[in-house]
Amino acid sequence: MGLGSLASRTLTSTRILSSQYSRFRPIVTKPGLQSPDASSAAAAAQPEPTPPPPKKPVGGARFEFTNPDDAIEVFVDGFPVKIPKGMTVLQACEIAGVDIPRFCYHSRLSIAGNCRMCLVEVEKSPKPVASCAMPALPGMKIKTDTPLAKKAREGVMEFLLMNHPLDCPICDQGGECDLQDQSMAFGSDRGRFTEMKRSVVDKNLGPLVKTVMTRCIQCTRCVRFATEVAGVQDLGMLGRGSGEEIGTYVEKLMTSELSGNVIDICPVGALTSKPFAFKARNWELKGTETIDVTDAVGSNIRIDSRGPEVMRIIPRLNEDINEEWISDKTRFCYDGLKRQRLNDPMIRDANGRFKAVSWRDALTVVAEVALKVKREEIIGVAGKLSDAESMMALKDLLNNMGSNNVWCEGTGTNPNADLRYRYLMNSSIAGLEKADVFLLVGTQPRVEAAMVNARIRKTVRASNAKVGYIGPPTDFNYDCQHLGTGPQTILEIAEGRHPFSSAIANAKNPAIIVGAGLFERDDKDAVFAAVEAIAKKGNVIRPDWNGFNVLLLNASQAAALDLGLVPESSNSIESAKFLYLMGADDLNLDKVPADAFVVYQGHHGDRSVYRANVILPSAAFSEKEGTYENTEGCTQQTLPAVPTVGDARDDWKIVRALSEVAGIRLPYDTLAAIRSRMSTVAPNLLRTDEIEPAAFGPALSPDCTQKIDSTPFKVAVENFYMTDAITRASKIMAQCSAMLLKK
Amino acid sequence: MAFTLRSVKVPPNSASLEEARGRVFDFFRQACRSIPTIMDIYNLDDVVTKSQLRSIIASEIRKNTHVTNPKVIDMLLFKGMEELNNIVEHAKQRHHIIGQYVLGRQGLAQDSDTKDEGTSDFLKNFYKSNYF
Repeated sequence: MGLGSLASRTLTSTRILSSQYSRFRPIVTKPGLQSPDASSAAAAAQPEPTPPPPKKPVGGARFEFTNPDDAIEVFVDGFPVKIPKGMTVLQACEIAGVDIPRFCYHSRLSIAGNCRMCLVEVEKSPKPVASCAMPALPGMKIKTDTPLAKKAREGVMEFLLMNHPLDCPICDQGGECDLQDQSMAFGSDRGRFTEMKRSVVDKNLGPLVKTVMTRCIQCTRCVRFATEVAGVQDLGMLGRGSGEEIGTYVEKLMTSELSGNVIDICPVGALTSKPFAFKARNWELKGTETIDVTDAVGSNIRIDSRGPEVMRIIPRLNEDINEEWISDKTRFCYDGLKRQRLNDPMIRDANGRFKAVSWRDALTVVAEVALKVKREEIIGVAGKLSDAESMMALKDLLNNMGSNNVWCEGTGTNPNADLRYRYLMNSSIAGLEKADVFLLVGTQPRVEAAMVNARIRKTVRASNAKVGYIGPPTDFNYDCQHLGTGPQTILEIAEGRHPFSSAIANAKNPAIIVGAGLFERDDKDAVFAAVEAIAKKGNVIRPDWNGFNVLLLNASQAAALDLGLVPESSNSIESAKFLYLMGADDLNLDKVPADAFVVYQGHHGDRSVYRANVILPSAAFSEKEGTYENTEGCTQQTLPAVPTVGDARDDWKIVRALSEVAGIRLPYDTLAAIRSRMSTVAPNLLRTDEIEPAAFGPALSPDCTQKIDSTPFKVAVENFYMTDAITRASKIMAQCSAMLLKK
Repeated sequence: MAFTLRSVKVPPNSASLEEARGRVFDFFRQACRSIPTIMDIYNLDDVVTKSQLRSIIASEIRKNTHVTNPKVIDMLLFKGMEELNNIVEHAKQRHHIIGQYVLGRQGLAQDSDTKDEGTSDFLKNFYKSNYF
């Protein structure tokens, strides 16, 4: 550059006009330009770069070799990788650690292959190949980062964005949108579309799913989900070409209990959550991994909260329990956490009206009354949503007061907690996939435990399992034989007179699912004995397969029975003088004498509050760290996502404080201490995410001499959307039960 | 004016711990002598008594008994003088005085210890809040 400036100075001094184009630019030569041999020699002189180490599978995915001899080897971007036979190219790339973009492919749905975003280049193939649909053949060389593959992705992205509206600022999916992420990663930087975009009319799918069908990219994930997983054929693709619309054609609402999952599945903002519309962006939210307690399944969820408010609930992956789905009740009950909350201790004064008092006064009043009452007249009832720690504390408190009349709602008047196999789902929810014959006794899994129903449907679809149902007529989303309505049918099957008994006898893995609604019957022991007779005859309970399952209704029942919340006498309510209700709202309080002192400890002002004399506010499941055991015996823990409301405290802390004020101080002060107390009673409640199988089988169960009552089975859950305190307080659930329940 | 005279009086360094200690006591005496003025300015006759205010000032000073560095003591004294000046020259208001100095003291008025005598730490924390 120095030469150049010198030269320019000499030039400008002689010239009259000096323009910058006359400035001298030095010409430099490079060794590669001089002769081609020199450049290749220079390149070859560098040492061979060491091949990078193989990558781990995408997302930590695990895969199983069903037949180790059948493993194929393919090459993904130069890496050899061994895969089981029958996998697609996309799955092979996932195992190799290469994430291929896709819109229509979902690992739990059938393959559609219509988005074309997963195109990769395969050697010896004239065109790029849709990796989600192409089976991986041995010796295939797959290349995902060649210019051809990249061009294909850019082209597909451009086509998708052509008719996509510019809705990002007002679309709820912004920030978690597959289209946004993939266009940033794989799309080209400019578009060439100058025509008018098409628009589609919105469909009304109900109060839960908001549809903006203009944003739909016609990936058909929702259609496949509805037909395959949910079992309702509500959605379909209408029209052809650019006039394609996803809709219900008839003006129908999506009434399925799994309809909220299409919100997660839709890659763009076409199907979004209506209650969550315009409320928050996903980067403002803090996710807390916790467990759902609205039913006994214990689906894993993530509560997204912003400050003290729960904004939405999203499912978490748990292959064993709920896969990737949650029911509508779980997903949308969160607005019940904001209504009808108890936030101050209250005492009912002489006029019958509640007055807010301090904790000191409330606990003093309760302790005074408790110490004056005789020990047989003290009763404690744990509620549907109680965690194991609080139930342990309640039982300890009442036992120290001299009473043994503690039980949990829903376990009936005479629960038997001696043998665990009689109240757990012994084949575990994931194990239901191995069954080939199902006998449903007095249970409607679609409303009682939607995820168990989804699992049964998955099994029925995959292996054509037979399902027989005994109970009042309900509808199922799989083929099901209605065998009868009452216990008589059980006796018939047990004695072999019914045609279904041959089906059970010929099955390899028969599964019997008994509903927990039977706990409320007086002839419960006889009915269970009859079902066990079927189990014995059909060889249902074996060392390698235990098909005798009980489907519980509440999140607290399994832990309650494990901790021994079994009352001494069955009708102690009629002579009670001191009643301690810990969240028990579905108890029949008519028989409680008028002068009994009722203490209600809970988080919602639901039914039992009207009879209570003292209210002690406690924390809901989203605000406390509690242990819950689901119907299969898997212990799980909730974590606090939001702070407690007002002056509310954790349940077990209230019981512990009450014990101290009453003079019978319980020996634990911290969560760890009460957990160690729990471990002396039921050590499986400390091992989270593990199933403790029932140790003993029917060999130990006593003979039953009761007569079976022939009243037909009743429906255990009348309104799917409103089953406990939280869902009854929720406006969304009220809308659903008004609009979506089948009349 | 009264406040300018006072603020001049605190020199920046004490030679030793004893000198700093002496200054602390001087400050305490000064504060106690201005208590009648404070009660008059902010109309605190119905809220606290003079002896209660003296105990409050003493407890505030006692909060820093663990300090041994004379320079730190000087700094704390400077801040104390500043606060005293602010209060005496009516730069604060009644609700400041009541909120910062009268309420929430354990040994005073409302929550007498006789109710809480035999209770455990658990119960004391339980009455205060859910998170402990």
